[in-house]
Amino acid sequence: MSGENRRRSSRRDLLKQGALAAVSAATFTIVPRHVLGGQAEPPPSETIGGALIGCGGRGPGTFQGLGAGVRRLAQCDVKFKDKYDNQTYYTDFRRVLERKDIDVVAIATPPHWHALISIAAMEAGKDVLCEKPMTRTIAEGRAVVEAERRYRRIFQVGTFGRYGAIKSDRSRLTHKIMRSGLLKNCQGVHIKKGGLKVKEWSGMVNAKPQPIPPNLDWDLYCGPSPLRPYHPHRHGGTHRGYWDYEGGGLADMGQHHFDPVQWIYGKDDTSPVSVEAYAPPAPPEAVAMWGWVELTYADGLTFVMESTEWGEPYNRKQARDVSLADLSEQDQKKVQAMPDPEPFPAFPEAVKTRKKPGGHAEAAHRCATLLHLANIAIRTGRKLKYDPVKEEIVGDPEANRLVVQPLRAPWRI
Amino acid sequence: MAPSDQVKALVDEMPKADERGMYCHVVIRELPPEKGKRQVETQPIDKAKIDKAIDAIQKGGRASVLGIVDMLVEPGAGEDYKARYALHCLAVRVCQMKKATGDDKPRREFAEAVASALGAGRPKAVRAYLAQELQVAGGQEAVAALGKLLTDEEACDPAARALLSIGGAAVEQFRAALPAAKGYCRLAVVQALGVMRDAASVPALQAALKEPDREVRMAAGWGLARIGDASSADLLMKAADAEPGWERIQAVKACLMLAENLRAAGKKAEAVKIYTYLRDSRKDKSEQYVREAAEAALAAVK
Repeated sequence: MSGENRRRSSRRDLLKQGALAAVSAATFTIVPRHVLGGQAEPPPSETIGGALIGCGGRGPGTFQGLGAGVRRLAQCDVKFKDKYDNQTYYTDFRRVLERKDIDVVAIATPPHWHALISIAAMEAGKDVLCEKPMTRTIAEGRAVVEAERRYRRIFQVGTFGRYGAIKSDRSRLTHKIMRSGLLKNCQGVHIKKGGLKVKEWSGMVNAKPQPIPPNLDWDLYCGPSPLRPYHPHRHGGTHRGYWDYEGGGLADMGQHHFDPVQWIYGKDDTSPVSVEAYAPPAPPEAVAMWGWVELTYADGLTFVMESTEWGEPYNRKQARDVSLADLSEQDQKKVQAMPDPEPFPAFPEAVKTRKKPGGHAEAAHRCATLLHLANIAIRTGRKLKYDPVKEEIVGDPEANRLVVQPLRAPWRI
Repeated sequence: MAPSDQVKALVDEMPKADERGMYCHVVIRELPPEKGKRQVETQPIDKAKIDKAIDAIQKGGRASVLGIVDMLVEPGAGEDYKARYALHCLAVRVCQMKKATGDDKPRREFAEAVASALGAGRPKAVRAYLAQELQVAGGQEAVAALGKLLTDEEACDPAARALLSIGGAAVEQFRAALPAAKGYCRLAVVQALGVMRDAASVPALQAALKEPDREVRMAAGWGLARIGDASSADLLMKAADAEPGWERIQAVKACLMLAENLRAAGKKAEAVKIYTYLRDSRKDKSEQYVREAAEAALAAVK
């Protein structure tokens, strides 16, 4: 039976209504465990059809994040040229998304595919759990947000730090202070020092073309990025070191670190207005060294990324928390009277309730924007002014070319 | 133009790739291996040294740019990574100069020199690299040369990306290339006209909706939706009646995008017509989400 002809069940609707399909006990038919269900095996009425797109590295772990009731009906990877059958194994994600029995999709491809496949999945009516980093460019992030809104789908990026942050009294208090709007001149400085894997996830500048492995669809791997000569370092984890696919350890590990920080400081709906980097000139295609990046929000809040792997240390500002003492006594009472923020639904709960999960599209996009802006400052060697509403760099059209990067046809957002 | 000895020497000032082929540090000497592993003594990448060499190259003007261009080779045909890096640093530097002083002349001269080297005599990969650097620093002075590549199967993608980044009057190159563009080039050009939201290309994109190439049809529909052309509504709704599958999904997307753009332009009645059509025509359970999206949009419009 082809994927196109599979019948879509109403599992998601049943879950929404909390209904369970009745299982007849009046016959002696031997019923397989996966039909009856059990602690480890939910019955079909509770299962959701799932697909994993991008099966290496984080893939299996990302799929688990879809929830216990999700059955893996399809696996898709550009390296399945030697085994794809368009039934269970696929190389082309579009064939997976055409299937009516797939409800949720886990995406663990390299990041240059994250936005495009996320958007395509939502266009096909699927809910999406996507690995970090969310995107490769700022424009891609906005397009994911628009698709989430347009199709009313659940989207979550696979980084979960904010689920821990919301349990911390101190983090919740900082969040409330920032969201209260009472702190007009924020003195907060958050410094992320080290841990951004700069050398580990740099790219080669002198890679020589090599034969494409027979099981790999290299054209589809490159996808929206330029079609380059094949080299194994551009593929299989080390892709992180190339601007075509990602933005080095900064973009990759940065989303993990700054996702909770951004929530704590109440910046899920905005972006910095000023960005400055200290780095040697960046190579055209490979990610390389940088020293630090300073990002400042309109209210004065400063985030700093310091690599500790190149150049002089960052010494412009000292790390400083935001506290109640930054407010007048009257305003302190107002903040203390504020209700705690609602807990974040996990992805499976969000699918059931249709409530936005933690790390939803707008929040994840704003976090990815931090990392993209940092990399644009590194790549251009210029101090940037950013308009967080228009989402464009002000007064520097050439730098803006890295905000919206044209894609190789037929891929578009 | 063959590079002068001075340009060669300045390019050689660029860092040597380290033991992993990266620009993470500079290897200054080999040390005795430890446990069979190669050991090296290193020093950090020297930003000041690079900046100084790039400044000197920039002062050499067009001759220096063309000299570096002549050092570029097909990947695998030689070691040109220092020249590639130098040309890219130069592209970034002339943009820095423009921003710092407001003087666009260095950037313009750089782009003119690179654009003049885009001719067919160079290897495909070198022309692609030059187009890539024009994507960084090119402007209107480069669009004519890039436009000539739009009907060249081997060069149209990097040329299109550079022209899209340059924007503005670059759209004329896509319009001019469309009649002659075949195969992949045609797809790239049709898509680019949509990216640029070129209202003057509406008739051409509407005609492209009937082309045999499915990818071209989908790109044309997407472009018409981005442009927000009300006269295309019926065509896009018809396309959304395609058989279930990827093309239908993309045609529905085009309808929703067009409706959003019409609504944003104050054409509520036209938007309502599209949403109503989608609400009423998506009967199958598998398209319930489209029906719900249309219903929600209708509620927001009214």
